[in-house]
Amino acid sequence: MLGYICKYAPVEIFESMGVQMERIEPDVTNFNQAEIRMHPNICSFAKGVLEELMSGDYEGVILTTCCDSIRRLYDVLTEEFPDKFIYMLDTPRITKDAGITLYEQRIRAMIREYEQFSGKIFDEETFGKYLKSREEEQQYALKNSALNIGIIGARANESIKKILDENQANVAFDLTCTGLGRKLLYDDQAVMTGYVRGLLSQFPCMRMEQAANRDELIRRFAGSVDGIIYHTVQFCDNYAYEYAWLKDWLERPMLLLETDYTRQSGGQVRTRIEAFLESLGSGKQRPERKMKGDKTMYVLGIDSGSTSTNAVIMDQDRKIRAFSVVRTGAKSGVSADKALQDVLEKAGLKREDISWIVSTGYGRISIAFADENVTEISCHGKGAHYFNPRIRTILDIGGQDSKAIRLSEDGEVKDFVMNDKCAAGTGRFLEMIARTLEVSLDELGAIALTSTEKIEITSMCSVFAESEVISLIANNKEKADIADGVCHAIANKASGLLRRVGMEPDFMMTGGVAKNPGVVRAVEEKIGGKLYICQEPEIVGAAGAAVYALEKYGL
Amino acid sequence: MWIADKYIDHVKEETVEHPGESWDQMLLGFKLNKLRMKLLPKKEISKGYQKLETMMMSLVADSLGRPDSYVWGNIFAPCEIIGCFGLSTLSIECLSCYFSGYHLEDYFIDYAQNTGIAPTLCSYHKTFVGAIDSGAVPVPEYAVTTSLSCDGNLNTFRYLEKRKGVPFTFLDVPYRDDEASVDYLAQQLKDFTGELERRFGKKFDEEKLHSAIRIENETRRALMEFFRLQSQRYYPGELISHLYMMMGMHLLIGTQEFLDLIRFMIEDIRKYPKFEGKKILWIHLLPFYQETLQSYFNTNQKYQIIASDIIMDSMEEMDDTKPFHALAKKIIRNLYNGSYSHKAEMVGKLAETLHPDAVIQFCHWGCKQSSGGSILLKEKMQEMDIPMLILDGDGIDRRNSHDGQIKTRLEAFLEMLEQGEQEESEEEEQKKIC
Repeated sequence: MLGYICKYAPVEIFESMGVQMERIEPDVTNFNQAEIRMHPNICSFAKGVLEELMSGDYEGVILTTCCDSIRRLYDVLTEEFPDKFIYMLDTPRITKDAGITLYEQRIRAMIREYEQFSGKIFDEETFGKYLKSREEEQQYALKNSALNIGIIGARANESIKKILDENQANVAFDLTCTGLGRKLLYDDQAVMTGYVRGLLSQFPCMRMEQAANRDELIRRFAGSVDGIIYHTVQFCDNYAYEYAWLKDWLERPMLLLETDYTRQSGGQVRTRIEAFLESLGSGKQRPERKMKGDKTMYVLGIDSGSTSTNAVIMDQDRKIRAFSVVRTGAKSGVSADKALQDVLEKAGLKREDISWIVSTGYGRISIAFADENVTEISCHGKGAHYFNPRIRTILDIGGQDSKAIRLSEDGEVKDFVMNDKCAAGTGRFLEMIARTLEVSLDELGAIALTSTEKIEITSMCSVFAESEVISLIANNKEKADIADGVCHAIANKASGLLRRVGMEPDFMMTGGVAKNPGVVRAVEEKIGGKLYICQEPEIVGAAGAAVYALEKYGL
Repeated sequence: MWIADKYIDHVKEETVEHPGESWDQMLLGFKLNKLRMKLLPKKEISKGYQKLETMMMSLVADSLGRPDSYVWGNIFAPCEIIGCFGLSTLSIECLSCYFSGYHLEDYFIDYAQNTGIAPTLCSYHKTFVGAIDSGAVPVPEYAVTTSLSCDGNLNTFRYLEKRKGVPFTFLDVPYRDDEASVDYLAQQLKDFTGELERRFGKKFDEEKLHSAIRIENETRRALMEFFRLQSQRYYPGELISHLYMMMGMHLLIGTQEFLDLIRFMIEDIRKYPKFEGKKILWIHLLPFYQETLQSYFNTNQKYQIIASDIIMDSMEEMDDTKPFHALAKKIIRNLYNGSYSHKAEMVGKLAETLHPDAVIQFCHWGCKQSSGGSILLKEKMQEMDIPMLILDGDGIDRRNSHDGQIKTRLEAFLEMLEQGEQEESEEEEQKKIC
């Protein structure tokens, strides 16, 4: 079995020789091997391929010179596996005749080397017949009954499609690396040249010179779907250029989704995709209404975050009857039960009195008593609109992530961005720093306001920032000034997110960090505007979930 | 690159407030700086490095002052061909460095990232994209880039073509080093020459290219001689001096002016005292702003950078009778092209010639082709018994270089080198006693 990763790899040549070809789709939990053999700042797909090859049963792999990370992957693999057929196929970026001629030469040289390695023989006639026998693969599939989603960008693994499938969305097309069905050209006059021409004339990837006509193809493809997921892989930078370009003219809702090819960030990926589908309007059925003896209907929203679990009970007139905020312990299910008991008690109600429960937040799927779960992005949108209908842009800084959400006049989510898989600019980051400064989280914000000297924390990464803070302490800087510097570092991150969704006033800040006056002041300075903060910024998501529940009944 | 601090702050403020309206002030700053370097050169560095700095400042200030006199390139663009048309090549990597003279890199990088450019992209490219996309810096008529040495090239130039309408020639550099590759690239270079003829309305004079390549051969030989001398004599320079040298070797190579400078440096260095400290061979970029590295490598008699692979990235004699093929071969055999074992081999050759005490590789944020092979190079250096240190940071964005980390790693490494020397001399003593 030979592995391959790129659509420009001449898979059919090997298949015609009876070799089993396996497209490598790394599904790994860590990069233990890759971190030893490669530098950490290498594209996570390349690292994943290395892990896969270390554990899988491959006689070799066909790589192409598709990008810098793969070039270096080749170097590491040849060192690691001197006895395997690790082949780097030099693929031209020019698809004109000069490129075709060169590629054909390269492929023939590769065949000779493989013949020597394996003892198998390549026969052009057999190859021709094999090509002819192959049926054209489908490239495009629209479904009338479902939301149609297109995937563009860097290679996307199966987990994205699985999440879409679980949410009854249809993948209409997948234009990422090996996502499209193969387009084969058969020319009986010149079998090999025709085949090579076909390979190079596939939907161009970003490394190809002719990638300019991607715009036209994407425009055509995108026209027929409800939304686009633009996927990028961490440390693969090529596709972000295209996203930056497309978002200005492609008139389709588009979600930028970055993954790192491990299972670690599954929860965040799910939240983003589901929130996106919700914003495209996936409709659900209306449940039965339960009434209490006094003819009032109650619903409950519960937001299970990484730091706190918040619950809100609302009546049919959209009045909050009670709310509860409890710390999230080691098990989110237990904290959710606690929040439920607490809020029911405060409202003087029983579980049976509640008509519908909507859960949201990271732990939303683990809450057994919820009737439905909705992402915290949609819920924050609803919640913000509930508290103040003038809000167009929300900044939510929670314990483990931060996000900016843009709303329409009706409180619907128009766009959102989330921070990447790191703690920079989150509540967790503030906690870390507070611990280092030996103050409580509440104090941190308060002392920041008394700062007299401006200190800049320059590190982007929270781990680096922490050691920077330690250096500042070592230099005898005042706590208040360091705290203020940290608040500004968070504000810088936050303003980047806000800019990416469009900076439309009025602004609101939600999440636990909104209670920190130091951060609030710093963000306000940065954006040059006021932030609306409601009395209990932590319950905005839960309130939004409750509004969702009411909307189920058309209320 | 340094202009009076107040002026720097003023220009930075203006640019952030109104990108596009501060360009004249930026340009004026470059011109004033050129003048300052001529009248008041940095006394603490050697004459040769002073002249080099002035020459590079002139290249940038003079070219930017006349928008029709230059094209954008990347650092591996064939400046020899462009020079035949009386045009200069300004590489986007170097321009980013010059913009950072106004401390604008953070603003430009954030600007690019906020439009969606990947945060993990090379900071040189992000700075440049931000500078152009924000409208702070005007654009020329034409540009050229090679696919060497990174993925960013084609994408950055293509992005700016779409955004700002700057057309460009793309030169696809094959990975393999063989005749077919050389033919393939040589033809592209010929086509590029034709494109310049059309665009700038000037006839190409092949004799000029022959002559440039002859000068180039002499320059490379002279530079090797200078490196050899630099490993023997203390020739005060700064981190940034090596970047200027890299700039010269890529943007002014093939000109008499640059050859004369290297010849001057060969004469000048002979007047300096013997160097008795640790000789460092530097791999990849130098973060010229980084405090700790500055304190160890700027005019320091104990530690001297004697050469760098970014300056001497191709070493072969070029055949001036077949100029396009010679240029193609040079680019294909560049140590940044092909496999890392090719690079390790060439660095090994440099080490054999110059006998450094240690090798330091700086892994620049976002540079996958360099970082990805660092561990392999270290193995190769171990085989040659040369200690090697890998540092992580960013060549331009201060926010990605953590001083504490760099300091600890560097100092531990230098302690290790001193220790090694002590042990060696103790062993010698021991042998003598026995």
